[in-house]
Amino acid sequence: MPSKHQQVTGNVNSFNNIINFNTEIDLEGREILLWLSPLEPQQRHQGVRTNRLDGIGNWVLETNEFRKWSGVEDGCVEPVLFCNGNPGVGKTYLR
Amino acid sequence: MIDSLCDRARGKDIAVAGLYCDFLTQQEQSVTSMLGAILKQLVSRGRIPEHIRQAFQEDRKGFGGRCLRISDLVEITKKAVAALQRVFICIDGLDESTPKHRRELLESLREIIRVSANTRLFLTGRPHVGDEIMKCFGKVVMIPIIPTQDNIRSYLEMRLANDTDPDIMDNELRVDILRVIPEKISEM
Repeated sequence: MPSKHQQVTGNVNSFNNIINFNTEIDLEGREILLWLSPLEPQQRHQGVRTNRLDGIGNWVLETNEFRKWSGVEDGCVEPVLFCNGNPGVGKTYLR
Repeated sequence: MIDSLCDRARGKDIAVAGLYCDFLTQQEQSVTSMLGAILKQLVSRGRIPEHIRQAFQEDRKGFGGRCLRISDLVEITKKAVAALQRVFICIDGLDESTPKHRRELLESLREIIRVSANTRLFLTGRPHVGDEIMKCFGKVVMIPIIPTQDNIRSYLEMRLANDTDPDIMDNELRVDILRVIPEKISEM
């Protein structure tokens, strides 16, 4: 008889697959995730990650704007950061 | 960007969710499926919160399957976000969704971050969607992405190294490519 709970290690439908977590997602849990959305953005993300060239676009992470936005203080910064550029400048490939 | 934020999130109670808008699947990417995709990344790390289970069970009792509306997802996401210490939501290529979807998506995100000081939004898109974003959120931090000459050169070197037909390349042409293209692009 198949077990109701299946042990899932690692990436459970999340981009946070760098964190090695160990969690139990039961059958209903999986149905719920599918109910929330049929989209699987992490598939596209794998493609982006494979084609990305190391170091490109890292300057964005060094900008004051980015540092402030991603900093730990709550509520005192603008919560929305918009990186804009024409097609092909590498917006998708910022690391 | 998602990976940089995930690196920082390692070992901390920070959730990162990402979404790519895609011109080719515009219709399939309804606003409910986009919001749902963000939400499921936020809750799939551990046990799914009880309020989401309840919403799921309620929805099943309804007639005709999935009846999640945008407003339902906004409410559920607000609760899910409130239970997390910090949340980063990244949405790439906003110009690739339809104007109607984009407006609804941005307004939903505004509702979600309004109640949660611990949530940050990272958006990318062509410059023309900047006005819509400003209109929706009021104040926004903008970073124009202009590739540096060094970055363009590294990219060209990678492409030349992966050239499937390297025999037709000679050194002179190679040097010209690496000099002229970065110069021309940075003049644009």
